[in-house]
Amino acid sequence: MPGEVDTEDYADVWVFIEQHDGEAAKVSWELLAKGRELADEKGERLVALVMGDSVTHLAEEAIERGADEVLVAEDPIFEPYLPGPYGEQFRYLVEERHPDVVLIGGSHTGRDFAGRVAVPTYAGLTADCTELDIEPDTGLLLAKRPTFGGDAMATIKCVEHRPQMATVRPGVFDAAQPDPDREGTITEVEVVVDESHQRSRMIERVVGDITDITDANVVVAGGYGTEGDFGPVEDLAAALGGEVAATREAVEEGWIEAARQVGQTGKTVKPDLYIACGISGAIQHLEGMNDSKTIVAINDDPNAPIFDDADYGIVGDLFEICPALTELIEQKRGETA
Amino acid sequence: MSQEWNIVVCVKQVPDADDVSIDPDTGTLNRSDAEAVLNQPDYNAVESALQLREAVGGTVTAVTMGPPFATAVLQEAVALGADDGVLLTDRAFGGSDTWPTSLALAAIAEELDADVVICGEESTDSSTGQVPPGIAAHNDWSQLTYVEELEPNPEEDELIAVRDIEGGHEKVAASLPVVVAVGFGLNEPRIAGLHRKIYAENEFEPQEYSASDLGIEESVGLAASPTSVGGMATADPVERKREMVEDVETLFEELESTGAI
Ligand SMILES: Cc1cc2nc3c(=O)[nH]c(=O)nc-3n(C[C@H](O)[C@H](O)[C@H](O)COP(=O)(O)OP(=O)(O)OC[C@H]3O[C@@H](n4cnc5c(N)ncnc54)[C@H](O)[C@@H]3O)c2cc1C
Repeated sequence: MPGEVDTEDYADVWVFIEQHDGEAAKVSWELLAKGRELADEKGERLVALVMGDSVTHLAEEAIERGADEVLVAEDPIFEPYLPGPYGEQFRYLVEERHPDVVLIGGSHTGRDFAGRVAVPTYAGLTADCTELDIEPDTGLLLAKRPTFGGDAMATIKCVEHRPQMATVRPGVFDAAQPDPDREGTITEVEVVVDESHQRSRMIERVVGDITDITDANVVVAGGYGTEGDFGPVEDLAAALGGEVAATREAVEEGWIEAARQVGQTGKTVKPDLYIACGISGAIQHLEGMNDSKTIVAINDDPNAPIFDDADYGIVGDLFEICPALTELIEQKRGETA
Repeated sequence: MSQEWNIVVCVKQVPDADDVSIDPDTGTLNRSDAEAVLNQPDYNAVESALQLREAVGGTVTAVTMGPPFATAVLQEAVALGADDGVLLTDRAFGGSDTWPTSLALAAIAEELDADVVICGEESTDSSTGQVPPGIAAHNDWSQLTYVEELEPNPEEDELIAVRDIEGGHEKVAASLPVVVAVGFGLNEPRIAGLHRKIYAENEFEPQEYSASDLGIEESVGLAASPTSVGGMATADPVERKREMVEDVETLFEELESTGAI
């Protein structure tokens, strides 16, 4: 059978620093903080990986944020991201240097190319983990992920193959603050890819036109119960200085853009306050909001399942409750101003 | 330049997500009586495949890996308009994780001389989203994932897609052969016509392949899977206060006193 490896030959925790146009994706710093914990637990080094063109500043930041070493593959071929060159370069580095654990952001980019690394290296890859631990006796990575729409947690192990790879969505772990006094080494690695690995070409890349709800401290979400009128939800979000989000149902109706969808096939949010307006509480939706600190549910059906997953529930028409709450918040703001 | 495209659409039979429940008393998963259905995102994949065939000509072949009764999802795809169906069925496949699963699908795609392989974004039971890039990686083909719009460019032997990315989108052209994972909900799947349905249920017989037919019997199944399930636990429900409040004033005061606003 192909791919049998001596697991003893593999060491270190690697974190892929996803970057576009010289800007790192936040999830990379979150993974670096988690990677630091895992590396310390294993008594191994934390290695960050940066691919791109002119990315030295990111290598330096990776050290400030916890990496012992940063491997830099610098070449114009890595701009913009395409799965062929990224996968091939990463495969080469894995085969050269034998990392034990590899963490990649569960972004659309990270999930696009993680398989292009795991397949040729015959690695175990666990998708969309929400918890990562080290098994005390064996040092194995315990990759935990929600399954059955979030009702159960599965622990996935990779015993005989290396590396042990995992993707993790943005917002699951907290990023560590950079420490300018930290020291580490930056290593330029050989670039082994060329145009023959491309097979696809980027025609256009547009970012920044869509809000990132994963970053918000307050999220006010609307569901099918809004019947297409997001006005009260928007006003409440504005009064609280938060972002508007939605369920899949609202997105499918075309009431709001897909980037604001929370849930299994949407985004994971982790705000201090999540207000669910006219949302029933399907498990696929809960999966994306369950890490919120305080959850408020507004629903006119007293039996809506969402109330079981909320800190505060109020039964009633969102078209009355949202404006009334907005008014109270604005009043308070007027008083304190 | 190929005149017509061999389009393969990968479909999966899954327990109906709405039927999988957790027993509130024992905390165990209850899916024994869950009906087996076609993975919902795969309806979008089948629809994309049919639209592609309408645009460039060619054939659509639905492929699934599973036990003999998984033929039901092939019938569903054929009823919707797929020309043919292939069942990869063999005890040797049992226990396959995403690595061998994508190997088997990659092997049949090669065998069928596919120009395009279309998959749903993920399956509702395991939701890894790893199989489509896995197929592409095994065959060293190009790939397009999280596709929101798909357009063929047969003159250049390529597919052009708009992909959803964090905070925006990108437009990418990929050369054939290509593996596509379509975003959940990107199109309105059609309804199966009555004649097609009758044909699918009564006359259609899938082509069957075993692991050895594909020459991969040593590389599939539990033993060939790099990952294994090391445990399953009911998700710790986040402890919520579950306080019902009577009116907006009380809600406001509660939120204020706990510092939530
Ligand atoms: C594979 C898969 C992936 C999915 N991924 C996601 C995902 O990522 N995110 C997601 O959200 N869903 C997802 N879903 C869909 C999910 O199962 C539910 O269908 C969806 O979350 C329901 O949306 P909703 O709560 O807005 O609508 P509904 O379930 O229709 O609920 C509407 C609620 O509004 C209440 N209501 C109506 N009018 C009012 C009013 N005037 N005032 C107050 N309350 C009112 C009703 O009582 C009801 O509880 C997915 C499904 C599948 C199969």
